[in-house]
Amino acid sequence: MKAAPQALIVVGCLLLIPVAAVVTAAAKQRFADGPNRVFSGGPLVSGALHSGPEPDWSFVRDVETVELQLLDPPRSRRIWTAEHDGRLYVWSGYMGTTVGRLWKRWPIQAERDGRAVIRIDGTRYERRLVRIESGEVLDGISRAIRDKYPSRVTRAAVEAGDSWVFEAAPR
Amino acid sequence: MAARFRSRPDGALRSASERGHGMKTFYWCVAAALLLTVCAVLFVPGVDDFVERTFQRYVGRAAR
Repeated sequence: MKAAPQALIVVGCLLLIPVAAVVTAAAKQRFADGPNRVFSGGPLVSGALHSGPEPDWSFVRDVETVELQLLDPPRSRRIWTAEHDGRLYVWSGYMGTTVGRLWKRWPIQAERDGRAVIRIDGTRYERRLVRIESGEVLDGISRAIRDKYPSRVTRAAVEAGDSWVFEAAPR
Repeated sequence: MAARFRSRPDGALRSASERGHGMKTFYWCVAAALLLTVCAVLFVPGVDDFVERTFQRYVGRAAR
């Protein structure tokens, strides 16, 4: 056997170890109650289910991330959130690129079936994700996003389809 | 007989079967390490979080 192919085999075998660790951790998270950091989690099970009047969403200004689960498929992920004009919003960037669409599938799934559960500080809220594609409201939403996060979301980016914004409306 | 040997930079000779045996041992070690890694991630508390944190760091660096 030549030295170069053999070296490649050795490197490939050694790379298998961290790859196996990442794949195993990601697979394990799928069976957990919610996401951890970057890997998708299973359905949100724990936490009281909110009932009653619509909450005052201004408290999410102090919340860094929320856990979002779609009903179909029942997988959860950790995402950014923002409040504007008493309404709750979530969004996804990189949707204008093929890599982004392959990486982030939840916005496409949410557009198909918007039923969702959002868990914030241990309380679960049943919501319906409604995509906002255009309109003046996007100016306020994108401002709220930029004020809270190091994000470049603009109304133009949303209307061009680069970022998908959803209102987490009551179900 | 000489065809079965390959020269090394230091001039020493090693048989093909000797090298094959070395690779076989290496494959066994990798298989054991893989098994150990998977079991550690699945069953040792905190290992999965460490893996995810490390992955997040590298992905974040690559994204920047």
